[in-house]
Amino acid sequence: MAEIVAAALAAHAPLITGKPEIARPEQRERLYAGFHEMRRRLAAARPDLLVMFVNDHLQNFPYSNLPAFCVGLVDAYDAPSPGGSTLMRIPPRKIPGAPTWGMALLEAGLAGGFDFAYSYEIESWDELSVPLHFLNPDGDIPVATVYTNCAAPPLPTLRRCHEMGAFVGRFARSHRGASRVAFVATGGISHWVGTPETGRINPEWDHWVIDHIERGDVEPLLRLTWDEIERDGGNGGQEIRNWVALMGAVPGWKGESLAYEPVPEWITGCGTVWVHA
Amino acid sequence: MIAVSYPLNKILTGLARAHVTREKLSDAELAGHDLSDAERSALLAGDIRRLYDLGANPYLIRRVFRPRFPI
Repeated sequence: MAEIVAAALAAHAPLITGKPEIARPEQRERLYAGFHEMRRRLAAARPDLLVMFVNDHLQNFPYSNLPAFCVGLVDAYDAPSPGGSTLMRIPPRKIPGAPTWGMALLEAGLAGGFDFAYSYEIESWDELSVPLHFLNPDGDIPVATVYTNCAAPPLPTLRRCHEMGAFVGRFARSHRGASRVAFVATGGISHWVGTPETGRINPEWDHWVIDHIERGDVEPLLRLTWDEIERDGGNGGQEIRNWVALMGAVPGWKGESLAYEPVPEWITGCGTVWVHA
Repeated sequence: MIAVSYPLNKILTGLARAHVTREKLSDAELAGHDLSDAERSALLAGDIRRLYDLGANPYLIRRVFRPRFPI
């Protein structure tokens, strides 16, 4: 049995750490302050496992093999790899994975109606490396990952992502492989990357998403279609699938926005949200 | 129905993994790929909007045609 000791949501973007100098200083410092407060609260919760709801950007899963949901069974994540280190300006390092916990989740899923794919080799990019730079600076908390396809449509529905997160939450509580579990989801909020609208951010939609998380009212989020998110949140906004998965893992919990900044230079609506009982 | 072109995404994935960045591709880079005429001309022109409309993944468009993006 494990206790869920913390939950947090954060945007990810390689430029958050890769090009801090191009953002307006006041925006950068407010967002960094949000990450630092998140780190302070996370450390105080003393998790022995970080379960992360994240997504690939076609670095790991190409069009020849695209899982909707994939459990990472990686021994240690490059967070980042030497190559990614150059882009994200984070020193290359290894963070321990949790393959035994992941295998137990995988088996429980297959037995219980969630047919996860799995991977023993995942190259971490900004979906792990950037938030973990802030949240796991010593790299001492092992990381378990659940990757959801948010980047190569067609994508799983938000409702299914929420159900998947609920399954992971129930598993985490019942499994003895960890005793103090923290959930972290990364991605979003609005951003347009590589589309004709590249660079657009929609703060109004971002606030709508955050407001619903803060109220713990996720049902309107679960009804969002791919088209609606593409229109209002951009292709990067599809990553809120990770956020609603986490909200499924902690039913009844509510968000508390620590920082929100629409940073045009990082082409991302950047949010950090603490989630609590 | 979401537009997805596997031929476009296959060639762009290979180039992205090789860290190739271009304003436009060359005939040599297209050799051996099974592309429609529209796909071929969009790649040769580096027409990122057309590639998007034809079903290339935007994350791959951005990685390969990075010089085409002002931001």
